[in-house]
Amino acid sequence: MPGAVIRLQGPRLALLQFAAVRQVLLFFAAAGLLMLLILLSLRTGPVELNNTQVLQSLWNAITFADIQGQSDWVVRELRLPRTLLAVLVGAGLAAAGAVTQGVFRNPLADPGLIGVASGAALAAVAVIVLKDSLLAFWVAIMGPLALPIAAFIGGLAVTLVIYRLGTRNGQTQVATLLLAGVAINVLTGALTGILTYMADDQALRSMTFWSMGSLAHGRWPEIAALSVCIILPLCFLPRFARLLNALLLGEAVATHLGYRVQQAKLWLITAAALMVGAGVAVAGMIGFIGLVVPHLLRLLIGPDHRALLPASVLLGASLLLIADMIARTWLSPADLPVGLVMAVIGGPVFLSLLLQQVKHSRG
Amino acid sequence: MLNVKHLSVRIGGGFNRPGKNLLTNINLHLGHGEKLAVLGANGAGKSTLLKCLCGELSDYQGDIILDHLSLKFWQGAERARQMAVMPQKVELAFPFRVDQVVALGRAPHGDENQSTALQRAAMQCADVWHLRQRSYSGLSGGEQQRVQLARVLAQIWLAERNEQGQELPRYLLLDECTSALDPAHQHSIMQRVGEFAGRGVAVLAVMHDISLAASWADRVLILRHGEVLACGGVELLADAQLLATAYALEAPLAQRYAQQNLGWMQA
Repeated sequence: MPGAVIRLQGPRLALLQFAAVRQVLLFFAAAGLLMLLILLSLRTGPVELNNTQVLQSLWNAITFADIQGQSDWVVRELRLPRTLLAVLVGAGLAAAGAVTQGVFRNPLADPGLIGVASGAALAAVAVIVLKDSLLAFWVAIMGPLALPIAAFIGGLAVTLVIYRLGTRNGQTQVATLLLAGVAINVLTGALTGILTYMADDQALRSMTFWSMGSLAHGRWPEIAALSVCIILPLCFLPRFARLLNALLLGEAVATHLGYRVQQAKLWLITAAALMVGAGVAVAGMIGFIGLVVPHLLRLLIGPDHRALLPASVLLGASLLLIADMIARTWLSPADLPVGLVMAVIGGPVFLSLLLQQVKHSRG
Repeated sequence: MLNVKHLSVRIGGGFNRPGKNLLTNINLHLGHGEKLAVLGANGAGKSTLLKCLCGELSDYQGDIILDHLSLKFWQGAERARQMAVMPQKVELAFPFRVDQVVALGRAPHGDENQSTALQRAAMQCADVWHLRQRSYSGLSGGEQQRVQLARVLAQIWLAERNEQGQELPRYLLLDECTSALDPAHQHSIMQRVGEFAGRGVAVLAVMHDISLAASWADRVLILRHGEVLACGGVELLADAQLLATAYALEAPLAQRYAQQNLGWMQA
């Protein structure tokens, strides 16, 4: 009998190491893919550019050299901001999705459920519709950043309200929280509808564009603000990876394992709201990344958040970059809203994942 | 050691309805190497007591003293290195493998990757080593319970040492940890837990099965309506009168249970 055990050990051990190596390889592959996509994104567009030109322009941008010629300008002022925006927003949305699904122990817990998106939408629509009347002072103070900042505050505020409603005696009841989320989302949706009803043609048009999501409006100031709101939480997330793993066994077990669960949940939800709120504020409503990316990665590398969080960042950024390239080139020169493209890609991908899972659990 | 002094827990009590006492004036002492079974009918307060002891519920009157320090002053992480808790049922939100679940038990120590030998020993102790590559969600209820046991055993497998090199005491709290197990595993698992107590770990087990308690425990604490009905040696379980009161049993049935328990104690 001991012989049998030892004979099993060799291959099993090799398998385990193989799994670890595979994870590292997958990681490098994902990082490489992202780099490649960034390069491709900088090349793609009405003005054809080659790799040397793109790399030269990138170097110019890093060294803050003056803009030299048309191609340099195209890369640095048009494509680089847009590419960076896609990377940041995609990374933030995917990481926020992984976090909310982990905190609420539910694979369907999209960041939208905790009200970030609907709150941001309400605030944005309010600014668009009421910019000449009730909110004129806000537009006067904030200037061009009036809409993104309002959306950001709106998203955060609604999330906070829903979180307060779902918390009793310092304990968050996930079911209550999700139901409160549904109720509040209906309410903000209704308010948004009323504002839409009041809107004139011009406002309706810009509202529609915003609600479909687009990366066309990111300029350097917005990107600078956005990068703080997304990179800062991303840097803190790895500290919570172990806690998120423990949380998969339930809040009680995580408490038994010595974690301060309530405090950590508040931090994690704030981080998710910050990332999604900032993303929605600049790029409008882009769905599915937060839902699909963590789900897909759990099938590939398992639910360990120490790997899942960084992998979500890489894959989320890649996915939004691809969607944006399609949005820019498919019906060029028309610029499709990337949110629509994302939904067109995301819907079937999610369905096929679901069907595959059902097949697995049956077989 | 673990000392519970005048512990009371009260819930509810809005402006138009009276509150309810879940626990009233519980006193309890649990020393190193002791095996204490907490018994009582459904709703007697067994799980509430356990929740207070493991820090899950902190809204109580009275005091719980762990190693000369009130539980309220313990840091969660420090407590977790000395005290492991096994809940009745743990469902996983996402499919971890069995060995990953067991590795989570080492999270308070931060040595998931270095302590594989210890995790293996814990898995073998709970008889789940052969399941280690399986997905936790695909296991049966009893197998899941054994995996959880392996996790909590791994958590306190080795005693922590303080600066002077002295071993710090360890505590193991079990909440009906054998409810989904077959009889063979019930007894073998409780025997393993007993051996664990033999190494100086204080074990408190909330139990459902009185004959299993009779065969395993050193001491028993019997709760009724949130109060201590009796506390003492395991021979209390052979007292038909006591069983009749504790579980609201009819006299002949209580008599039969007492007889049966006596048999288990002598075995």
